[in-house]
Amino acid sequence: MEQVADRREIEQVVNEALRELEEAKKDLKLIDALRVKYLGRKGLITNLFKQLGKVSPEKRPELGRLLNEARDTVERAIGSATERAKEAILTSKETIDVTTPGRIPIIGSLHPVTQVTQEIVRIFSQMGFEVVEGPEVELDYYNFEALNIPKDHPARDMQDTFYISEDVVLRTHTSPIQARIMEKRRPPIQIIAPGKTYRCDSDMTHTPMFHQVEGLMVGKDISFSHLKAVLTLFVHRMFGPQVGLRFRPSFFPFTEPSAEVDIQCVMCGGSGCKVCSYTGWLEILGSGMVDPAVFEKVGYDPEEVTGFAFGMGIERIAMLKWSIDDLRLFFENDVRFLEQFT
Amino acid sequence: MRFSFKWLKSYVEIEANPKEIADRLTMVGLEVESVEPRYPHLKRVIPVKITRVNRHPKADRLMLCNVTDGTSTFQVVCGAPNVREGIVVPLALPGTELPNGIKVEEAIIRGEGSKGMLCSGKELALTDDASGLWILPETITLGIPLDEALGIDDFILDISVTPNRGDCLSVIGIAREVAAIYGTSVRYPDISLVEEGPPIESIARVDIEDPQKCPRYAARVIFDVEIRESPEWIRNRLESAGVRAINNIVDVTNYVMLEMGQPLHAFDYDRLADHRIIVKCAKAGDRFLTLDGQERILFDDSLMICDGREAVAIAGIMGGELSGIDFRTTRVLIESAWFDPITTRRTSKKLRLTTESSYRFERGIDPEGVIRALDRAAQLMKELGGGKISKGRIDVYPRPYQRKTIRLRVDRANKYLGTNLSTEEMASILSRLEMKVERREDGDLDVTPPSFRQDLTREVDLTEEVARIHGYDNVPLERPRVLMVDIEPNEHLQLRDALKEFLRGLGLREIITYSFISPSAISKLGFQDGDEKLRTVRLLNPLSEEQSVMRTSLVPSMLETLAFNLNRQSNCLRLFELSKIFIPKEGFLLPQEDFHLIVALVGKRHPKLLYSDEDVDYSDIKGIADAILSFFRITNISFQPLDKFETPYMDPASSADIICGESHIGRVGKLDIRVAERFDIKEPVWMLEFDYEKLFSLRGPIPKFRSLPKYPSVVRDIAMVVDESFQVQRGIDFINSIGETLLESVEIFDIFRSSQIGEGKKSIGYRLTYRSSERSLTDEEVNRIHEGIVKQMLEYFGAKLR
Ligand SMILES: [Zn+2]
Repeated sequence: MEQVADRREIEQVVNEALRELEEAKKDLKLIDALRVKYLGRKGLITNLFKQLGKVSPEKRPELGRLLNEARDTVERAIGSATERAKEAILTSKETIDVTTPGRIPIIGSLHPVTQVTQEIVRIFSQMGFEVVEGPEVELDYYNFEALNIPKDHPARDMQDTFYISEDVVLRTHTSPIQARIMEKRRPPIQIIAPGKTYRCDSDMTHTPMFHQVEGLMVGKDISFSHLKAVLTLFVHRMFGPQVGLRFRPSFFPFTEPSAEVDIQCVMCGGSGCKVCSYTGWLEILGSGMVDPAVFEKVGYDPEEVTGFAFGMGIERIAMLKWSIDDLRLFFENDVRFLEQFT
Repeated sequence: MRFSFKWLKSYVEIEANPKEIADRLTMVGLEVESVEPRYPHLKRVIPVKITRVNRHPKADRLMLCNVTDGTSTFQVVCGAPNVREGIVVPLALPGTELPNGIKVEEAIIRGEGSKGMLCSGKELALTDDASGLWILPETITLGIPLDEALGIDDFILDISVTPNRGDCLSVIGIAREVAAIYGTSVRYPDISLVEEGPPIESIARVDIEDPQKCPRYAARVIFDVEIRESPEWIRNRLESAGVRAINNIVDVTNYVMLEMGQPLHAFDYDRLADHRIIVKCAKAGDRFLTLDGQERILFDDSLMICDGREAVAIAGIMGGELSGIDFRTTRVLIESAWFDPITTRRTSKKLRLTTESSYRFERGIDPEGVIRALDRAAQLMKELGGGKISKGRIDVYPRPYQRKTIRLRVDRANKYLGTNLSTEEMASILSRLEMKVERREDGDLDVTPPSFRQDLTREVDLTEEVARIHGYDNVPLERPRVLMVDIEPNEHLQLRDALKEFLRGLGLREIITYSFISPSAISKLGFQDGDEKLRTVRLLNPLSEEQSVMRTSLVPSMLETLAFNLNRQSNCLRLFELSKIFIPKEGFLLPQEDFHLIVALVGKRHPKLLYSDEDVDYSDIKGIADAILSFFRITNISFQPLDKFETPYMDPASSADIICGESHIGRVGKLDIRVAERFDIKEPVWMLEFDYEKLFSLRGPIPKFRSLPKYPSVVRDIAMVVDESFQVQRGIDFINSIGETLLESVEIFDIFRSSQIGEGKKSIGYRLTYRSSERSLTDEEVNRIHEGIVKQMLEYFGAKLR
């Protein structure tokens, strides 16, 4: 006949468990093994529960109570032993030197010219301008003639041109895109065109290659006050709403009226410094109403459509944005320069 | 255009100071680049009176002078012979920089203090007298800046005149703008002549053979002039404009040009054969000696001024050496003409000879001002050199200038500008600019611009004038109401920007280099003669040979950039450039412009030695290539042995061509060390090139989402020993070619060499992942399939298991 567990026997198992747990100290693995030994699917205490079915119904509640107490005791003991062990692991471990340099993932950078171009393009894209591009080696026709700059016109002196042949030049500005786009499409047109440009000039303030962004808006009843509003908005987005600006009459053969846009010197705030030649103003944009002669060249009726165009030098804006004082740095590509724009 | 403020003020009455005028001029489109004192060095020179003179105790030839500036007295050491008590002389205070370069400092001269320097007229560049101290009038105010004390204080304004405003290349031209700004009028100089000489017809004659190139030619003759130095006032004004004084006759021609904008020329009447002028073109190849002593070779469209025998001047550009004014001249023929702008410009460009005269003719002079300038010059020459002015003048005018009347629609102008100006306001602005303005019945304006405004020919030109004088700043802002347009995305550009961001994420730095390079830089890459990379677009006028051809490869600039940085101790370089190359296209004027991408790695894998002291190698650069290909979702790629003829600058043992289908889209690997040496690079360079245009056109579609697997995968490995020359990719290709449907993927997890495996051998570990989308696979099932694959592989490659 099978022996049924009694109180003494249960206490014995419990005491044995507590002793073993005590001996396991802070060994997490051992503690876990003890959990299996006593409370696991085939554990000693679990096995005792199986005897419940064999005792008489009147003894059953008493035995059940004893077994539950035993299990709870062992469970608690295991719980606290585990807790103790984990704490010991955390505190006993060697501490790391928290000042060790981090393993920084290698981070690259975009050229400052790219960054500024993207910023300008983003601002105008948000206003609904479409981004287009054109060739860098350009026909004299698009670079000059279509923009109302005939051969033998003194305005050609305004730009020192690299020639490939009599009819082919390196574009001296991004303006030829105006003519190319208008030739292909009908108004309304709202475009922005970034790209490389070239002039036969190299000194402290000129590099033979540089970057420009051109803009053009053509439609019905586009006016000079629209030009002012769009470019004012741009300047405020680019340099901040506090920056003052002024529109100054100038001359470009392909716009009439023409305007230079000056912003208050970002270095001195307008009080005058070396960067602004003590005028308090910095020239950043050329602009104007598209000259009727340009519309006629592309087959638009200047009585029907009007528009404005503008162009700006990227390097100039980058220099103002980051207070870069030497233009030539842009194309030397010294990594000590480039990494400052990471 | 440089001129003195006082000169300007002699034509227009204004109260404003120079700075204020400069600002106003700038804001009407005449950009004033600088406003400087006429005599900056006189600002710290003051008149002082010498009150006592004593001998210097330690130097015989020096004197100790007590001088007073009216309020205080100080000591100055002086060695001038004419120093004496009671005279008033200029004292340069410490800090003055004299025109001769001397910097005046407070000094101790042989033990005696000297607060500045007493000066001669020559030292101040105001007189020619260097013999002693400049003795000033007794009545002069002591202690104030000398220019003010002498009444010669003035400012020089320098204006950058735009090419359309030839009329502003004169002081009167500027005065007209000032008058328009301030609503006042110009005081033109009085011209009145006493004509005492013989009638002009009897002594000279002018013929124009080419009226297209010379629409007007006028002349006067003066007899019995005396060539001498011009008076101070005229020399001073010339000098203020940066023109050197020569003699009274030449000075007058320059003076009138600066005053009125009309270039003039003075001939020695007695050196003009037959006393006649013929205006005609040169014959190609003719030689002509200009007055600067240079011999010029002429073209058949060079317009010349000739006498009865030969050429005496290049029309509108420069006179001849042999017909000019010199000290023996007594009779002068004055030329005042209107030469065609384009003709003048062409000749000036061809001869590479630009003068004050050609500059003005190119920009258009006032055709109706020709006579006024001629008479003004005659008047001044007589005033300065005596003599008798001929009776009457020659005025050959075969192509008279027609004034044009332009209608200005007031509403249209307002709409164009976004303004709301009244008819009267517009009329007033235009009248102030000396235009003839008539109000039409319909409310618009009929406007006739003055002859000096040759730039105003269309309605829009008048609109600009209205805006300019009204003030751009007074035009209100209005945001345009635009139609929404269907904007086509510029995918080519968007993807370029995205690629740059992606590369930045891979730890690469973008560089931007010049599009033009040196032809020798391409040759350094080792291309054979006749290679198409050597066929370049060449500049006709490069700045230097180093920048003379448009690049056909991004490699040279990248290598130069690497060398530049390595020379500056930057040793860990991870660079890229995405720019155009230019390929000449047979039968087309313009070359093909393709974007290419180049990536280069040099040095350590990680810039921090703490974490890695390993050098970059093929796997690094190839990894970037793989990443870019997956960025473009391009599959069907193979890396093939490098074609050494196509790419002579890469090391064929460590480089590969990247092929997609049939198309060569890039190359990756190691730079040939001989090429590296040619660019002064000693370190290994790992390089990757892609044709962006091909990446762009081969880019894959946006992939569809694939459901995540429901059942677990089972992984099995093969480690196979093969010859060293075996390309690891072949194993992958073979396994994939078997077409086992339960095989999900295969990758290389290990490449291992050891002495145990043997010399010239390597072990490649392939990891195969099996999975079914319908059920969990059993070990037995997978083992059976895997063993089949292993067997086929070993047989196919004749390899052994490790
Ligand atoms: Zn400033």
